[in-house]
Amino acid sequence: MAIKQGGFSRKSKTSDEIPSSSLADIAFLLLIFFMVTTVFRTDSERDIIWPQAEATEKIDEKKKNILNIWVERNGSIFMNDQPYTIEQVSEVVGPLYAQSDRRLVISIRGDREVPYMTMDQLQKELVSAGVVRVVFATELEQRMTRQRR
Amino acid sequence: MAVLNNKKSKVSDEVPTSSMADIAFLLLIFFLVTTVFPKDKGLAIVLPEESETVEVNQKNILHIVIQPSGVVEVRRGESQQVQTVSPREIEGIWRQDVASNPNLIAGVKTHPDTPYKFMIDVLDALQTAGADKISLQLLEG
Repeated sequence: MAIKQGGFSRKSKTSDEIPSSSLADIAFLLLIFFMVTTVFRTDSERDIIWPQAEATEKIDEKKKNILNIWVERNGSIFMNDQPYTIEQVSEVVGPLYAQSDRRLVISIRGDREVPYMTMDQLQKELVSAGVVRVVFATELEQRMTRQRR
Repeated sequence: MAVLNNKKSKVSDEVPTSSMADIAFLLLIFFLVTTVFPKDKGLAIVLPEESETVEVNQKNILHIVIQPSGVVEVRRGESQQVQTVSPREIEGIWRQDVASNPNLIAGVKTHPDTPYKFMIDVLDALQTAGADKISLQLLEG
C-alpha cells in the first residue's frame, strides 16, 4: 500500500506566496474613500472681498464652535447658506450660543466696502444675543503689499 | 546557436503588481499629510455684555473718529484739539500715548457711511500696537 511518489511530496499548484496584487486595490479604495468623504466646510463661500490686516491671527477654537456670518457688499447677511435680515440675527444666534455652552465664536466675514452702519447693527444684535467672542475675519496683510499700496 | 532559444527565461513575464500597493499607500499618506484645512483667522475682539456700561474718566480716552473718506481724527481726552491722520499712523500714536498713560482706552467712533475696511485698518493698527482696551462705536450726530 505504499503510495507511489509519496502523497506529500507532490508539488502543490497553488502559490505559496500571499497574494499581494489586491493590496493595491484596497489602498486605492481607501484613498478614494477619504477623498470623497472629506468635507471641508459646511457653508459655501460667499462672494466678498476680504479686508486685510497685519495683526491677523488664527482663531483658537474648534471648527464646530465657529459660526460664520457673511455680510455681502449690498448688506445682505448669510448664515449657514441661508439669507437673513439683520433683525433675525439675534434670534438665530441666541439659541446656537446657548447650545454651544457659551463657547461659540462668531466670525464676521464682511466685504471691505460694507458701510459701518451695517456692522454696528450686527454687533448690537450679537450683544443682545449675549455673544462675547467675535472675530472680524480678515486676510493676512504682508508688509510688502502694504508698502506697495 | 539554437540552444539559446530553447532556454527558458528566468524573468517573469508578468507585470510586477506587488509594488502597486506601496505606490497607493504612498499616495494615501501624501494626501493625508498635505491636506490643510483652511483655518479661520481674523482680528479677535471681545464684545461687552449687555447692560455692561463702565464710566471712564475722560482723560483716559483716546478718541478716534473715522470719516467716510478714510481720514482719521484723533482727539485726546478732554482737549478739543483734533489731529488728522491716516489709519496707519494710529499705531505710533497709541504706542506713544499708552507709554504715558497705561490706563488708556481707545474709543473708535466710525461714521455710518464709512467702508468697513477703514475701521479694520484702524483696529489692525491698534492691535498691532498691542492695544487691548478698544471700544467700537457708531459716530452719532
